[in-house]
Amino acid sequence: MIKKKLAIVGNGMGTCRLLDELVLREGTRRYEITVFGEERGGAYNRILLSRVLGGDSPDSIVTKTPEWYDRHGIRLIHTAKVTRLDTVRKSVLTEDGQSRRYDVVVLATGSQPLAPPIDGMFGSDGDLRSGVFVYRTIADCLRMRERARPREGAVVIGGGLLGLEAAKVLADRGLHVTVVQVAATLMNTQLDALGGEMLARQIAHHGIFVRTGKTVEGLYGDEANERVSGVFLDDGATLPADMVVLACGVRPRVEVAKASGLPVNKGVVVNDTLATEVPGVYAFGECAEHDGKTYGVVAPVWEQATVLAEVLTGKQRQARYRGSKLYTRLKVAGVDVASMGSLEPELDSDQVVQVIEERRNAYRKLIIRDGRLMGAMLVGNTAATATLVQMFDRGDPMPEEPLDILCSKPPSSDPAECVVCTCNKVTAAALRQAIAAGASSVDALSVATKAGTGCGSCKGELAQLVTLYAKKTEPLPLAVAN
Amino acid sequence: MNPLQRLRAVTPEATKTHCPYCAFQCGMEMTVRDRKGHDIEVTADEAFPVNRGQMCIKGLTSAALLEHPARIRTPMLREQDGRLAPVTWETALDFVAERLRSLRATYGPASVGAFGSGALTNEKAYLLGKFVRVVLRSPNVDYNGRYCMSSAAAGQNRAFGIDRGLPFPVSDIAKTGTLMLWGSNCAETMPPITQWIFEQKSAGGHLIVVDPRRTDTARIASLHLQLTPGTDLALANGLLHLAIEQKLIDEDYVARRTEGFDDLRRSVLTSDPARIERLTGVPIEQQVRAVRLLAESESSMILSGRGPEQQSKGSDTVLALINLMLALGKVGKPASGYGCLTGQGNGQGGREHGQKADQLPGYRLIEDPDDRRAIAAVWGIEPDELPGKGKSAYELLDSCGPQGGIRGLLVFGSNVVVSSPHASNVERRIRDLELLVVCDSFQNETTEAAHVILPVAQWAEEEGTMTNLEGRVILRQRVRPPPPGCKTDLAILCELAHRLGVSRGFQFESAQDVFDELRAATAGGRADYSGITYEKIRLEQGVFWPCPSAGHPGTPRLFADTFAHPGGRARFHAVPYRPAEEVPDTEYPLYFTTGRYKEHYNSGAQTRLVQALVDVRPEPRVQIHPRLAGKLGVAEGEGLVVQSRRGAVCFLAQISTDIRADTLFAPFHWGGRMAANLLTIPALDPVSGMPEFKVCAVRARAAGPAHQNATIA
Repeated sequence: MIKKKLAIVGNGMGTCRLLDELVLREGTRRYEITVFGEERGGAYNRILLSRVLGGDSPDSIVTKTPEWYDRHGIRLIHTAKVTRLDTVRKSVLTEDGQSRRYDVVVLATGSQPLAPPIDGMFGSDGDLRSGVFVYRTIADCLRMRERARPREGAVVIGGGLLGLEAAKVLADRGLHVTVVQVAATLMNTQLDALGGEMLARQIAHHGIFVRTGKTVEGLYGDEANERVSGVFLDDGATLPADMVVLACGVRPRVEVAKASGLPVNKGVVVNDTLATEVPGVYAFGECAEHDGKTYGVVAPVWEQATVLAEVLTGKQRQARYRGSKLYTRLKVAGVDVASMGSLEPELDSDQVVQVIEERRNAYRKLIIRDGRLMGAMLVGNTAATATLVQMFDRGDPMPEEPLDILCSKPPSSDPAECVVCTCNKVTAAALRQAIAAGASSVDALSVATKAGTGCGSCKGELAQLVTLYAKKTEPLPLAVAN
Repeated sequence: MNPLQRLRAVTPEATKTHCPYCAFQCGMEMTVRDRKGHDIEVTADEAFPVNRGQMCIKGLTSAALLEHPARIRTPMLREQDGRLAPVTWETALDFVAERLRSLRATYGPASVGAFGSGALTNEKAYLLGKFVRVVLRSPNVDYNGRYCMSSAAAGQNRAFGIDRGLPFPVSDIAKTGTLMLWGSNCAETMPPITQWIFEQKSAGGHLIVVDPRRTDTARIASLHLQLTPGTDLALANGLLHLAIEQKLIDEDYVARRTEGFDDLRRSVLTSDPARIERLTGVPIEQQVRAVRLLAESESSMILSGRGPEQQSKGSDTVLALINLMLALGKVGKPASGYGCLTGQGNGQGGREHGQKADQLPGYRLIEDPDDRRAIAAVWGIEPDELPGKGKSAYELLDSCGPQGGIRGLLVFGSNVVVSSPHASNVERRIRDLELLVVCDSFQNETTEAAHVILPVAQWAEEEGTMTNLEGRVILRQRVRPPPPGCKTDLAILCELAHRLGVSRGFQFESAQDVFDELRAATAGGRADYSGITYEKIRLEQGVFWPCPSAGHPGTPRLFADTFAHPGGRARFHAVPYRPAEEVPDTEYPLYFTTGRYKEHYNSGAQTRLVQALVDVRPEPRVQIHPRLAGKLGVAEGEGLVVQSRRGAVCFLAQISTDIRADTLFAPFHWGGRMAANLLTIPALDPVSGMPEFKVCAVRARAAGPAHQNATIA
């Protein structure tokens, strides 16, 4: 069989997953695959970047080495950037002037960090000024690591998931960290105002300073005006800083799609099969726009990758992508947040349950429509997260009293409830009661409760209970298992 | 002297043997109290070092099976009118031989086969495999052990190069710092094992239980991870991800004793705790606690049961558990590592001696030319005469009938109609057979379709070795002779062989003779029994294989210095998570999972005949969370119709907070309309052939008072 040529533009987490799904479906037998990436050294898991920032080796988060691509007969090109697709001649054009034929092409160009227009952010060479960083790639992390020194000041611009994660790592490295957030509260796309406020208090407990509702108006430099040495806020305050980290969100990377004449809105527009309107051209991941939505977290990207693999290999022709349910979990030591679905009720009939624990800085909120979970946020007390997110994902019916879900303890063992004698279902509590009532030997305990009269495998345990709880004046049992 | 005292004075000595049920194989003493051999007392053997004088209610009541009124005492042949008629052995065996011969002549040798059992002794398993390959010349022999430990076997073989259920004696359990029981409810399924667990806990050890239900075993745990059915693989990968993140990996061990860690490490990078929490329902805090206990205890072990194994990704899940323990540097250290709590009495030995479609005696592989040569030499045939690999258990049963091509089947000690997934399909298939021969002591759901039933001796009526869950080869001794009219499986196989024209290699005076040939056949194989004798077993309370020579002491503990792969290293395997074959959706919104009651064993073919057990557990009940029960409007003891894409069963409800609100549970010990396996899905593990008994999607509704225990077809 002559293989078709499949070109994939981009080598991020989405592509990584797509390749796994293709390999799983024997897609490498149907396609000769070429991947165009920008970074050397294979693909890595971006959500673990904080490990590299925290000091681990870059290799520790690499999911696919160049050797992996070789092993699966996949060509990886990272020497020349893709400029555009020629959709008439069906080829990928790169900046070195080469053109490579494709039968099917997938755009997985991802997203890029937003750099807000701030005075003094760029150096004379047009690049980010020395000491200013975005938090997006391994290379960014290595540069930040080199700069970050204990007791120096750092300003993180952006109080979303990524900004808080970077702030925490820098604080752990001993820096004085301030998070500046334009919005009135932290993580405002995942939490309502109260939730954001509770989170800010928790963050503060970890020695991180938070300034919300503030805009950074400009950066100022050292005497030579090269390196950054602080920021101006819109309220007139200045914050000295040896490093500034930009974590202001991302936007889809669509240059290649635009240059290729593909329909682009916020992202590259795709349908339920992740196809663009040009035959043979697909797009997915953070660069793609499906049903008016773009996604900036990894779970939806992976769901798209699975559907796309089904579509490309023809294994399941009915596979369709119908949108994703949004879920975010922030878990850095001591700060615990979960958020899913809607932040606020939308219909008058939507039910809202809020549990506010001011003193514990804990906040939980559920939004319920027609007995199903529409949204939930948990700050400071996330014990119910696992149960809630599964109910949310599956659309399971909520209990009539939604508080039941929040109250239910994670199943742990209550020693008193432990069945000691499994033959006769006698619990530890019942045995202690019997001991208190005078059963002071294993035999007496067996007579009183029937425990130990079945298979006898609990007799050692009975003896121990007697030893522990029978009055000391009573004779001790003979058999004690050690 | 009064008569009673006189009776005591002449009391014969007790015979030491082992329980007929599970892989724990409790040592038991049986004493015949009367001259006829009808009144038999059973006690637990105080001296046997595995159960140390304890035994569960199943073992204690097992003698009831010997003189049971339902016992078959003569061969039965199905007449034209469909009724079974008693016939002589001569007639029955002539008939079977003639039918086998004619089926082979018409359809070829692969059209006949055999289905064995983990209840058979090593000698029987060995001879059955030999019979099918040498006499029938068919590749098609497999056994119900496929439903038991095949995933653990496949996983251990790939990781360690050898498969022995436990790589250490059960007594090591008492010495481990952290014990993680993964999908095993051993407090109910092998109760006497709990003495070792209580001992471990008393010494300050930690117990972690992973199970979708809060079982009796989970109740004694200090940490219970109540995961979503079918997500064990995700959780295991997630724990490894955490171990790496928290710097708990034993890098020195990984470098010295393993290979393949780099690929594995990269593959679990995507199993971050938040994703795993979402998939499994196990909170991040609990994941962290579990992995820290395993890593930071001086010694720790994971023992798996059928929970993670009976899935269509069971062998990958076992590999993930092994990956974790290897990465933590635990495997081969004292009281540490991974083990499988094998289920059936001889689930271990049964898979070592050639009644498995892909294996030859001594754990040799039927597709390995060296292994074929070695066995062919023992059997006195040319290697080319040995057939190749046959179909795995469910595939074998599913191939019965004109379409699949299997026309004649011999079944030994297995109630396949109850124990197989998608039971109604299996029943249909075996009804399409032109010849079904069942060797058993009792009629059961499978004999209903049999053309011939051959009554066999029971465990206390014959001799033979078993290999328990530890890999300890033990001896069952004869307590009394079989009743007139019953023959041993060994005698049946030999007599059929003679009738089919093969006498050479099927002339044995005793089980011990068969064992001697088995010893020779295993010499040099992975499961080497050549140094084990009945005498040595008697003297040493069993012998652990491998035992390659007469002077060898046996091998209680494996892996201290080396693994069985060439080069001596254990192998890591990257095993990415994949969902179960069938997950809940809007049509079938609930998980369904199956398991056991303490009072019953497997398909219940034996235990449902014991009144003492039936009194305690007369019927299966479906376990349901009160929240779900409230929604469905079903109260305790009322009928609940549970329906999957394959069938429906009306169970009585048992309402309990011990089960997840998204999951229903029912035991599989009953047949007919109460068979849990009418619901289960026949999705198979691609490596082990294990069916997915532990997860499928169902819907449920209250039956209403009129439909108690009635099947809704």
